[in-house]
Amino acid sequence: MLRFWGWALLRLAAVMLMASFAGAMLMRVAPGFSSDDQELNSGLSAQSIQAIRTAHMADANVPRFYAQYLVSLVKGDLGTSRSLNQPVKDLLRERLPVTLANLAFALAVGWLLGLVLAVAAQTWNVRALTFLANGLSGTFISTPAAALALVFLLLRWPPAFAAALLVFPKIYRYTQNLLQQSCEMPHVLTARAKGAGPWRVMAWHVAPVALPQLIALVGVSVSIGIGVLLPIEVVSDVAGIGQLAWHAAQSRDLPLLVNLTMVVTFMTVCATLISDAAQRGFTRSNA
Amino acid sequence: MALMGVVSVFAQDGGELRFCLRSEPKTFNPLLVEDEASETIRYLTGGVLVRVNRVTLKAEPELAASWKVFEGGKRIRFKLREGLKYSDGTPFSAADVAYTMEQLMDPALHSSTGDAFRSAEGKLVAQVISLSVVEISFPAPVANLVNLFDTVAILSAKSPQKEMAVLGPFYMAERKAGSYLLLKRNPNYWKKDAAGKQLPYLDSVRIDIEQNPEIEALRFQRGEVHLINTVSPAIFEKLSADNASVRDAGASTDTEQLWFNQVPGSPLPAYKKAWFTSTNFRRAVSEAINRGDLARIVYRGHAVPAIGIISPSNKFWFNSGLKPHPYDTASALRRLQQDGFRLQGDTLRDRAGNAVEFSIVTNAGNRTRESMATMIQQDLRKIGIKVNVVTLDFNSLLERMTQSYNYEACLLGFQNAELDPNSQMAVWLSSADNHQWNPKQTSPATAWEGEIDKLMRAQAASGDEHKRKQYWDRVQQIAWEQEPFIYLINKDALVAIAPAVKNAAPSVFRPQTYWNVETLALTQAH
Amino acid sequence: MKTMRIVAITVLCLTALTILGASYLAPAGYEQQFRETPQAGPSAHHPLGTDDLGRDRWARLLYGMRVSLTLAPLAALFTTVLAGLVGGIAGYYGGWTERCCKLLIDLFLSVPWLFLLITVRAVLPLNVSPEASVTVTFALLGLLGWAASARVICTGAKDLMKSEFVWQARAQGFSGFKLVRLHLLPNLRGALLAQFWISIPVFIIAEANLGALGLGVAEPLPSLGSLLRELQDVVTLRPEPWRLLPLAVLIVVISSFQALLNKQEVRA
Repeated sequence: MLRFWGWALLRLAAVMLMASFAGAMLMRVAPGFSSDDQELNSGLSAQSIQAIRTAHMADANVPRFYAQYLVSLVKGDLGTSRSLNQPVKDLLRERLPVTLANLAFALAVGWLLGLVLAVAAQTWNVRALTFLANGLSGTFISTPAAALALVFLLLRWPPAFAAALLVFPKIYRYTQNLLQQSCEMPHVLTARAKGAGPWRVMAWHVAPVALPQLIALVGVSVSIGIGVLLPIEVVSDVAGIGQLAWHAAQSRDLPLLVNLTMVVTFMTVCATLISDAAQRGFTRSNA
Repeated sequence: MALMGVVSVFAQDGGELRFCLRSEPKTFNPLLVEDEASETIRYLTGGVLVRVNRVTLKAEPELAASWKVFEGGKRIRFKLREGLKYSDGTPFSAADVAYTMEQLMDPALHSSTGDAFRSAEGKLVAQVISLSVVEISFPAPVANLVNLFDTVAILSAKSPQKEMAVLGPFYMAERKAGSYLLLKRNPNYWKKDAAGKQLPYLDSVRIDIEQNPEIEALRFQRGEVHLINTVSPAIFEKLSADNASVRDAGASTDTEQLWFNQVPGSPLPAYKKAWFTSTNFRRAVSEAINRGDLARIVYRGHAVPAIGIISPSNKFWFNSGLKPHPYDTASALRRLQQDGFRLQGDTLRDRAGNAVEFSIVTNAGNRTRESMATMIQQDLRKIGIKVNVVTLDFNSLLERMTQSYNYEACLLGFQNAELDPNSQMAVWLSSADNHQWNPKQTSPATAWEGEIDKLMRAQAASGDEHKRKQYWDRVQQIAWEQEPFIYLINKDALVAIAPAVKNAAPSVFRPQTYWNVETLALTQAH
Repeated sequence: MKTMRIVAITVLCLTALTILGASYLAPAGYEQQFRETPQAGPSAHHPLGTDDLGRDRWARLLYGMRVSLTLAPLAALFTTVLAGLVGGIAGYYGGWTERCCKLLIDLFLSVPWLFLLITVRAVLPLNVSPEASVTVTFALLGLLGWAASARVICTGAKDLMKSEFVWQARAQGFSGFKLVRLHLLPNLRGALLAQFWISIPVFIIAEANLGALGLGVAEPLPSLGSLLRELQDVVTLRPEPWRLLPLAVLIVVISSFQALLNKQEVRA
C-alpha cells in the first residue's frame, strides 16, 4: 500500500513538472510570444515599443524562467501574472473554487444521468427508453460546448448544467457498451437461462464485471469534465480557471500558464490516481 | 449649459449605471494607460485639466479654469480652479500638475500618453508659478497641444493613496478580477450642475467584464446593462427590430484597410515583392474591390466606402477634393496590363508567367473582417487573382506584421481616437514602427514616402492649423494615388442606450455613450 | 430493433450519396455569393436561405458534410488505433511498461496542446489550400486525441489478461500476436468502437473551435464545424430556426452510426 502511494506521489510530481515545462516550452516556441497588441498603438514612440518587446522577452529563456519559478514555488510564491499585473496566487484563490464547484456539479449530474439511463436501458430493454437515451446522448455529443453554453445563457440556466449534459453522453456510452458486453458473457447468459430476474443479473453478475472499468472511467471523466467546462467558462464568462487559461494563452502569459497547467494536471492526475487506487482495492478484495 | 438645464428637470438622483468591458484593465495608473479598459477607468475616475467635448469637439475647461498657448504650441500656461480636493481629501494645487507632467514625461516610463507630447529631443519644464498657476514648456512646438491634455489625469504629489486618489467624478471602490469593477461617486468632485447641485447624479458605476458581445447584447435586452459602446451591425439590426434603443451615431473616424507587405527584407519571393511594390498593382486591386457591397452586406448599410486616410465625417481635416475610389474591373485590368500582367483563361499571370495568388491574413474571431476578406476573395477572382484567406490569433498575426514580415497582405482596422490626424504621425513617417507596409526605413524607399515624411514633419512643427490642413491635404492626395493602404470602409458608430438612461448624447468618439457620465441619470434607481 | 437498423442504414446511405453527389444536388457553388439576397429566408432558389454573405446554405451544408464526415471518421479511426495500441500494450505487458504508458497518458492529458496547434499554423505556408489545411487539422486532432480512451482500454486489457479464459488460452500455448488477435481484440471491441464513434462528433466540433486559431477550414470552404459556429450568434438566431439544420444533420448521422455499430456488436 505504502509502495503504491509512494509511486503515485512520484508520478503526480513527475507529470506536473513535465506538463508545465512542456507547456511553457510550447508557448515559447509558438509564434507571438514576444508580441503585444500595444505595438500597434501609434501614440507610442520607437523607444517605448522596444521597451514593451524587451519586457516580453524577459522570460524568453524558458529553462531559466522555470528554474526560478520552481525556487520561488518552494517558498510559496507563484509569481505574478504578466498580463493582469496581479499575483497568480490571488487569481487562483479567487477562481479555483468557482471552477471546482462547477466541475463537481457537472460530474455528479453527468454521472447520475449517464448511469441511470444506461442501467435502465440495459435492464428493462424497452425500445422507447433506449431510443430516448440514445437520442439524448447523440444530441448532446453533437452539440458544440459553446453553442450549448449560449443556449443556457438564453434560458438563464447555470452553465455547470450545460457541462453536465456534455459529460453525460460519454458516461452513458461507455457504461452502455460495458454493460452490453458484460451481458454477453457466458456466466451472465447462464444466469439468465436459469431464470434470474434482470435486476438480480445486473447486481450480481454484470456489475462486478463492469465495475473496474467504470471506476477507471471516473478518472477519465474528471479530465473530460475539465475539457468540457473550460470552454463553457470562456463562453459564459464564468470567472473560473477556464477563462483565466484562455486569457493566459491569448496574452502569452507564461507565469500564469505554468501555474494553471500545474493546477489542471494536479486535478486530472489525482482523479486517475484515486480511481487506480479504488480499482486496486476492488480487485484485491475480489481476489 | 442648455443640456444641464434639461437635466435638472428630469433627473432623478442615484442609481447604478451598468455596462460591460471586453477585458480587464491592465493598469490603474493613468499615466501607463494603453488598453481600452484602462482608458475607460481613467476617463471615469481621472480629473483632467481640459476635456474635449465629444459632441462639439471643443476643448472645455475642467481643472484648469483657463489656459493660454505660447510660441505656436511650445509653451502652455494653465490657471487652475482653486479649493479642489482629491477623493481622499488631499488638496489639489499647481504642484500636482507639475508632478504629473514630470512623471509622465520620464523616458523610462514608456507612456504612450507621454509619447504623444514628445515632438523633439529634450526635456520638458513644468514650472509652478503660484498655487493655481502652472506653466509647461516643451523642447519644440507640439501639434494639437491643448487637446492632448484630455488624456492626462492629474495625480496627487502628496496623497498616500497615490494614483487611487482621484479628481474625477468616480473613484475605484471594489474590484473582482475577471468579474467586475465598482466605481463609486467621488464625494469631493468639484463640478455642479446649472441648479448648483453636485455632480455626478449617479451613485455608482458597475462595469462587468464580458468578453462575448452576444452575451452583452443579451444582457442589454434583459435590462441588466444600460449601455453598449460598440454594437455589431448584426446585433444592431436585431435590437432595432425589437425596438430597443439603439442609435447609429454616424460615420466614425475608424478605418478598415488592406495593405501589401512591401518590406524589402521579407521572406517573400522576389516576383511577389515586385507586384506589391507596384502602384499599378495596388490600385488595380483597389479598383477591383466592390466597397459598396462591403458596406451594404458586411456592415448592413452601417458603413460608407472609404476614400482615404481621413473619414469624410471629419469635415475639417478631410481633403474634399478626393473622389471615392471607383469599382471598375475593366480599369483594374488595364492598369495590370500596363505592368505586363495578362489574363490567361481565368488566371492572371505576371510578365514571367507566375499565376497571381496571394493570401490575406486577418485576426481570427473578428467576423466582420473575415467576411470582408471573403468578399474581396470573390471580387478579385473576377480579375483572375486567387486569394487565400488566413485567420490567425492576434499575437501570431502581430509577430508576422512587426517582426518576421512573413505575410503577403493584411486586413486590419485602425482606431483614430482624435479628429486631429497628428496622432497618425507614427503611421506615416517612413522611419516609424507603425509604418505597416514597410516599417523602420533608414531612408524613404520611394519618392512619395520621402515627400510624406517632409509634409509630416512640417505639419507637426507648425502651430497654424490652416497650414497644417494644407500639408495634410497633400498627404491624403499622395496616399490616394499610391494606396499603400487600400482603405475599405468607414464604419458607423453603433451604440445601444437603455431607455432608463437620461441625458445621453452619444458621440462617434470614445467613450461614445458615457463621455458625459457626470450628467447621466437613471429614471428609476435600481 | 430491426427497423431502427434499417432506418440507420438508410440515413447513412443517403448521407453517403449526398456527400458524393454534392455537386449535383447543390443549386450553386458553396462559395458563390448572391450579393443581392444576403440573409434570405428559405425559398425555391435557396431551400435553406442564404448566409450573411448571400451564399446558399443548402450548398454549404452539403459540402460541409463532405468535408467533415469524410475527415472526422478517418481521424477517429487513427486515434482509436493509437489508443488501442498504447492502452493494449500497457494492459498486456503490465509492470513497468504499464507505468510508463500511464505516465505518457497523464502527460498527454495535461499539456496545453493549443500552442502546438498555433505553431503548426505558423509552419504551414500561408497559401496552403483550404482542403490541405483542414486535413492537417483533423490529422492533428487524431494524433492528440487518444490519451483519454487509452486509459480505459488499458484497464480493459489488464482485466482480460487476468481473466480465466486468457489463462486457459495461455495454458494451451497461445501467446503474443495470436492471443491478442483471438482473445484481447474481440473482447475490447466494444470499448474501441465506443471510443471511435464518440471521437467523430468531438473532432467535428474541435475543428470548429480551432477556427479561432486559424487552423481548420479556411474561407470559403465550409465544414460542419464552421456551420455550427454560426449557432453562437444567440441574439440573432431565434427567428431563423432553419439555421439549426447542420446541428440536426450531425445528430442524426451520429445517432445512426451508433445504432448500426451497436447492432453489429450484438450480432457478433
